[in-house]
Amino acid sequence: MGKRVSAEAQKEAVSRLLDHVTSIEGVTGEVLSRTNGTQDRNIANIACEPSAWRTLAETLKYDHSVDHCSMITGIHWPESTDKNWELVYHFLRTGVLDPEITESGSTIIPRITDTKKMDPDAIPIEIQVNVAIPETRTPSIASVQDIWIGADWNEKETWDLVGIDFEGHEGMRRVLNPHETPPGYHPLQKQHKLRYHGFEEMYDDAQGFLRKAPDSGRVK
Amino acid sequence: MAEMWISMGPQHPMTHGLWTLKVKVDGETVVDTEPDLGYIHRGVEKICESRDFTQITTYCDRLCYASANTWSHAYIYAAEDLLEVEVPERAEYIRLIAVELQRIASHLMWLGAYGPDIGNLSIMVWCLREREMMMDLLQELGGSRMHYNFPRIGGVKRDLPYGFAQRARAKLDLFKQRIQEYESLFDESTVFLVRTQGVGYSKAEEMVNHGVTGPNVRAAGVDYDVRWAHPYSVYSELDWAPAVERSSVKGADCYDRYRVRVTEMVESANMVLEALDRIPGGAETHYESGDPAIIAKAPSRAPEGTFGSHHFEDSRGESMFHIVGGGEGRGKNPYRVSIRSPMFITIPYASKCMIGYKVADIPAIMGSFDPCIGETDR
Repeated sequence: MGKRVSAEAQKEAVSRLLDHVTSIEGVTGEVLSRTNGTQDRNIANIACEPSAWRTLAETLKYDHSVDHCSMITGIHWPESTDKNWELVYHFLRTGVLDPEITESGSTIIPRITDTKKMDPDAIPIEIQVNVAIPETRTPSIASVQDIWIGADWNEKETWDLVGIDFEGHEGMRRVLNPHETPPGYHPLQKQHKLRYHGFEEMYDDAQGFLRKAPDSGRVK
Repeated sequence: MAEMWISMGPQHPMTHGLWTLKVKVDGETVVDTEPDLGYIHRGVEKICESRDFTQITTYCDRLCYASANTWSHAYIYAAEDLLEVEVPERAEYIRLIAVELQRIASHLMWLGAYGPDIGNLSIMVWCLREREMMMDLLQELGGSRMHYNFPRIGGVKRDLPYGFAQRARAKLDLFKQRIQEYESLFDESTVFLVRTQGVGYSKAEEMVNHGVTGPNVRAAGVDYDVRWAHPYSVYSELDWAPAVERSSVKGADCYDRYRVRVTEMVESANMVLEALDRIPGGAETHYESGDPAIIAKAPSRAPEGTFGSHHFEDSRGESMFHIVGGGEGRGKNPYRVSIRSPMFITIPYASKCMIGYKVADIPAIMGSFDPCIGETDR
C-alpha cells in the first residue's frame, strides 16, 4: 500500500481550522465533503466579506501555516442581484519545511513524511475561500501579494483577464493580453462575446485588418 | 561598467517556446530579470465557456504538447467533481497507466531539450528514441500520437488493447535498462556536470511560498506530492514513494532537478508495471467501448450554483481546474473555467532564481525548471 493522508484525519484538521477561523467577524465556513473518483475528500469552504479578507488571510498564513496559494479565480456575474463579482481563492497547506542539515553541516537529510505520525496542525488540507463583491463598476479587493508571493502573478492574471483590481499590489501590468490593450478591456467579462468568422471573410481578409470586434464603439 | 537591459526572446533557444526574458546585466552578471509572457495566449478559458463539457477535453489536450494526457485528466477530474460522477475502478487504473506513461514521455522530452541547452546534443537523440516507445504505447490507448483525447467524464474512451500489457512490460523493462545507460552518459559528462552543478540554488520553503510545486520542490529534499497529500485515483493502492533528491545545504541546484526527474521516470515505470498486475479484471481482458466496467454514466448538464475543482500532479507541478456550472444552454456549458498552470507561476520564480549568476548560466537554470509555454499562456 502506498502512502496517503487519510480522509478522516483531513476532515478533523479542516474542522479544527474552521472552528478558529469562523470566529473572525464576516467569515463563515463549512466542511465540504466530496467523493473524488474513488477517494473521499474534505475541503474547508469559507465565505468571507471583502472587508474581512485581509484579516482572514493573515490568520490563515501565520496561525494555521497555510503556505501555498494555488489559484485565484475571478468571476463576473452581470445578471446576479447580490453579487456582481466573485473571487475564489484556492489554498493548500503543504506542510513543507526545509530539510534538516546533518551535524557535519555539509549535506541534508531528505524530509520523508510519515503519514501515520503527522502533526495534526500540519496535515495537508485544501482551502477554498469565496469573496463576493457587491454591484460596482470598479471592483477591487485587498492584495495578498506580500503574504503569499505566489499570489503575485495570480493577481496580475485576474486583473488582466477579469478586471478586478487589487489594492496595494505592486507592479500590476498586463501578463497574458498584449501590453497595448486599451484600458478597461478585460476579455473574461461577460459583455464580451466570442465571434466567429465566415469562410469568405477569412479568405478576403486573411490578416483581419477589416474585422471589428462585435462590441467596438460601445461604452464598456 | 554600466548596467543595461537585454532581451532574450521571443525567439531564443533558451525559451523553449515564445516568451521574452528581459535581463539586466552588469558585465556578465545578471542583476535583475523580468519575464514577459502572453505571446501565444489563445483564450482557452473564454472558448471553454461556449463549449459543452465533452468538447472541452480536446482543448485541454492542447494546453501542453509535451504532456497532453495529464492536462486532459486534470480537467476530467474537476469535471467529475462538478457533475458528481463515480468512476469504475478499472477505468481509474487505465487512467493511471496513461498518465504515468505520459509523465515518462514528458520528462524525456524535457531531458532531450535540456541537453542542447547546455551543449550536449547527443542527449536529445537518445531521449527522443526512448520517448518513441512511450508514444507508441500511448498511441495504442488514445489512437493519436500527440493529442490523445483519451479520458471521458466517467471513465476512459477505450479499454487496454489486446496484447498491450505484454508490449508495455517489454518496453518498460527495456526502458529501465536504458535509463542506466543515460545516467552513465550524463553523470560522466564533464560538460553536463560543469554546467549544472552549483548553479540556480533554490530552497523548498521559499519555492512553496512562491507557488512552485512538483519535481522542482522534491529536488530540494522534500517528498511533498499531491498524489499522496490530496489522494485521488488509485495511487494509494500501489506500492510507491515519490522521488526525493538529497540536495546540498544551499538548496537544489540544476543537477538535483535533473536527478529527481530521472528517478521519477523509473518510479513511474514501476507504477505502470504494478498497475498492469493489479488492474481489476486483468490486463488481458478487453471490454468494448462504453462498457460499464470502463465508463460510468454522467449527466451532461450542471445546474447554476454548482462548482467543482481538483488538484492534480502534473509532470511540472500542481495543475488545477476550477469549473463553475450553469452556463449557456441550461447548464450544458460551464459558466466559467479557470486553469492553474504550474509553469505560469514557476517562470517568474525561476527568473528571480538566476540573479547573481552569469549570463551563460541562464539557459541551464531556466531549462532545469522545465518550462512549457503552451500551458503558461493558455
